Amino acid sequence: MAAAASARWLRVRCRLSLPLTGRWIGACEPAPRCRFCSGSAALPKVEGTDVTGIEEVVIPKRKTWDKVAVLQALASTVNRDVTAAPYAFLDDPYLTPTSSVESRSFLLAKKSGENAAKFIINSHPKYFQKDIAEPHIPCLMPECFEPQLEDVSEAALKERIKLKKVKASVDMFDQLLQAGTTVSLETTNSLLDLLCYYGDQEPSAYYNFQQTEKSEELEEATEENTVKSKKRAGQQFGVIWRAKNNAERIFALMPEKNAHSYCTMIRGMVKHRAPVEALNMYAELLNNRLHADVYTFNSLIEATAAMNEKFDEKWNNILELLNQMVAQKVTPNLQTFNTILKCLRRFYAFGKSPALQTLREMKAIGIEPSLATYHYIIQLFYQNENVSKGSSLVIYDIMNEIVGKKFSPQDPDDDMFFQSAMKVCSSLRDLELAYQVHGLLNTGDNRKFIGPDHRRNFYYSKFFSLLCLMEQIDVTLKWYKDLIPSVFFPHSQALIDLLQALDVANRLDMIPQIWRDSKECGHAFRSELKEEMLMLMARDRQPAELQEAFADCAADIKSTFESQDARQTAPHWPASALNCIAVLFLRAGRTQDAWKMLGLFRKHNKIPRSELLNEFMDSAKASNSPAQAIEIVQLAGAFSLPVCESLTKRVMADFALSQEQKEALGYLTAYDSDGDSSSDSDSDSRGGK
Amino acid sequence: MAAASLPAWLCLQPGARALRAFSTAVSPTTLPGKAGPRTTERTSRLERPSRRKALPPRTEKMAVDQDWPSVYPVAAPFKPSAVPLPVRMGYPVKMGVPMAKEGNLELLKIPNFLHLTPVAIKKHCEALKDFCTEWPAALDSDEKCEKHFPIEIDTADYVSAGPSIRNPKARVVTLRVKLSSLNLDDHAKKKLIKLVGERYCKTTDVLTIKTDRCPLKRQNYDYAMYLLTVLYHESWKTEDWEKNITEADMQEYIWTNSSSEKNILETLLQIKAAEKNLEVTKEELLGTKEIEDYKKCVVSLKNEGDSEYTLSQYKESVKRLLNLT
Repeated sequence: MAAAASARWLRVRCRLSLPLTGRWIGACEPAPRCRFCSGSAALPKVEGTDVTGIEEVVIPKRKTWDKVAVLQALASTVNRDVTAAPYAFLDDPYLTPTSSVESRSFLLAKKSGENAAKFIINSHPKYFQKDIAEPHIPCLMPECFEPQLEDVSEAALKERIKLKKVKASVDMFDQLLQAGTTVSLETTNSLLDLLCYYGDQEPSAYYNFQQTEKSEELEEATEENTVKSKKRAGQQFGVIWRAKNNAERIFALMPEKNAHSYCTMIRGMVKHRAPVEALNMYAELLNNRLHADVYTFNSLIEATAAMNEKFDEKWNNILELLNQMVAQKVTPNLQTFNTILKCLRRFYAFGKSPALQTLREMKAIGIEPSLATYHYIIQLFYQNENVSKGSSLVIYDIMNEIVGKKFSPQDPDDDMFFQSAMKVCSSLRDLELAYQVHGLLNTGDNRKFIGPDHRRNFYYSKFFSLLCLMEQIDVTLKWYKDLIPSVFFPHSQALIDLLQALDVANRLDMIPQIWRDSKECGHAFRSELKEEMLMLMARDRQPAELQEAFADCAADIKSTFESQDARQTAPHWPASALNCIAVLFLRAGRTQDAWKMLGLFRKHNKIPRSELLNEFMDSAKASNSPAQAIEIVQLAGAFSLPVCESLTKRVMADFALSQEQKEALGYLTAYDSDGDSSSDSDSDSRGGK
Repeated sequence: MAAASLPAWLCLQPGARALRAFSTAVSPTTLPGKAGPRTTERTSRLERPSRRKALPPRTEKMAVDQDWPSVYPVAAPFKPSAVPLPVRMGYPVKMGVPMAKEGNLELLKIPNFLHLTPVAIKKHCEALKDFCTEWPAALDSDEKCEKHFPIEIDTADYVSAGPSIRNPKARVVTLRVKLSSLNLDDHAKKKLIKLVGERYCKTTDVLTIKTDRCPLKRQNYDYAMYLLTVLYHESWKTEDWEKNITEADMQEYIWTNSSSEKNILETLLQIKAAEKNLEVTKEELLGTKEIEDYKKCVVSLKNEGDSEYTLSQYKESVKRLLNLT
């Protein structure tokens, strides 16, 4: 949409009038006094050139701002829309995702489309040369992935290194060496960088390997595998540093090596899990009287922690490394301390006091801790889930310190803080702390640290469960409207928690609303959820209109069961669901539907409860139809229920029966009394009563 | 897309989170709703995976006191599921009503200003106050603004969605100035008006110069200022050939040295000569009241055109002049 905005620039008056003071003579040649260029800062004041000469017009200095400041200011006036799906999706009732699986697949589809477009552009660059973007947007132009230079030269080698072609650059290097040309130290170092970063694999293969490692990390983050995954850290996944790979070979071939060469080799070895070789390389570095840089030291700390030694030995080794760092006059950075804390996590209880020491040291040097630091500390102190008297209060200190702070991304693990913090809040059952954590999430730009989808879901699931448990129902419902489903799709367990909270607070009238929402979230086929709802609705008698609403809801749930039936070969209706639906229909006065339910009992071979049969009997009496009463007794008899006898007696007593009906009844009781003895013995096995 | 079949496939591949290259894209194991003709086994109508159902529109969930600028923060097309108003638009069929908002193309085509409700504008203004400086206290009326800043420059900036931020219409600069604020005498003003031609508006006394011949706005602004300067200086200069101005070119009728003056003087002299009154000279005649009156009537007739009043004035003055009353 094009919008035109016209700007009115006021121009300072040209000195054209004959002045009273007579300072300027010759009115025919006035020079325009003040040029108003668009970039000028201050305009000079209009001096007393006005005819009146009394007032002075003071033009204030123009403010300048960067390119996005206005947009950011306008963006600060809007908040999140609580009914909308995230903006990445199309805002249409048909196209909005209804579950977390769907939302992930939609986003993947979108990204896949982008990748496809990029692929087409890059494989046919000659069709995409026209550039209408002004100013130029480089990332929309086709990229060239093939090396242009074909000759055997150092420039060609540099090009291949820049294009990240591992094998091609190693081949080129070998060719250069065979031809006898010396490759400069800088180029060799950059080749070593490439090899050590990718572990001597092509980048695409490298990332495929890394996926398996990432999936393990994900499991670590979920609720179940917190302790087990730490033990599994020693297993080998991902790219491993092979002995005598190209990097080592080229390193050996280098006539001269500087500190950078050693450092990059060390970092590559540590990254690909070869700590012993890394420490040996470090010893070589020291032998050659070279100095390592801070990144190398960070890797060495990791390597030390990965060795198979006892905890206190490892800690002493780390301390020694830090001393050497000081001796070599290398200042530690945030990554140093974060690496130390990450390694201390694996030390279990031993790591607690060193962690606090590290934190103090960090503050003494003046390095501001990042969210990852706090995450490691939380993980260290709250490793086991039991909240007994031994649990520490460090989370409160942490929150007191960081509340209201705005963080910027400094460490790859920064996005794990909120998840672990909320997990601790949930295990401590502390709602105030959870509110503090959530408030921190909403300060400034901190919401970017919530992490990928599964972490965000975990965080909000824990938060919402805690709310259902501890908070008043009105506030909980407000949060419910706010968060679901625009922020996260709840598990069925979260909805069951909510239902229980409603039960406690006696707000069962919200159940039909919850059912509608859970259909939107994709829980229409979760039987535990439906059973819980039905059970809550059917438990007590409700006022009339609420009963109507409940009956509608029950009919809806019934239809979902039926559609589920249609799709699967083996129908399964839980017995309790059948019972509850029938009760609800009866209470709302929908006797037709209720009688149909009786038929379903027989069809699915599920056993009705005795209270249900009594209620049916009441309704039959109310409608005064003995045929229905007999049908109930027949049903009870078909299942050989013990209650059949009492029912028969009741029928005899309350109803006026015709002769055939009495006979049929008598037949039933006779039949039943034979089976009575056997039914008594296994009356316990008849569930659902 | 059948929601139930998706989870099974995606759960099997935990690594599917990473972005894959195009050649190994998300494999199409799930078929769209109409699975019937594609699957090998015969699925009956009932067993087909059910069509994806649309959710109820989110207007049902909106609170009455919600924050509307958050729903429509920027200019966006009309979304019937997000606007809780029962809007209708379109030409109705006979005995019908205009079409409802769902699927209504007419509502999509027109620009909507749902993002600029008065509440939103107020909030925007509040946020933009920080970027503004104070208005100078001395400029508290329009006249003072005109007095201190007589020249007004109009420029336009254009914003549109697209890859390019350039718009050739943005180079146009319009300069407006009232001639009363320029220091012009009579001749200069007439000359200036002649020079600019149509750019001067007589009723408002405003000279408008619109420039777009340069590619940049800054250049056009400089050019407009240059034009103003040149016009001003040129109109003050008097060229030699300006003396040769004919009556047809003059802006307004000047009686002195005109043919009307010559004619009336000749006529009066002839009359006087016929009356044997030769002593009167031209200057004496010119000084008489009747001649003055006659001059005024002729000037007004010529300048203002024919009207009852001017014609009757002329008649009276001629009669007085020729002593016919």
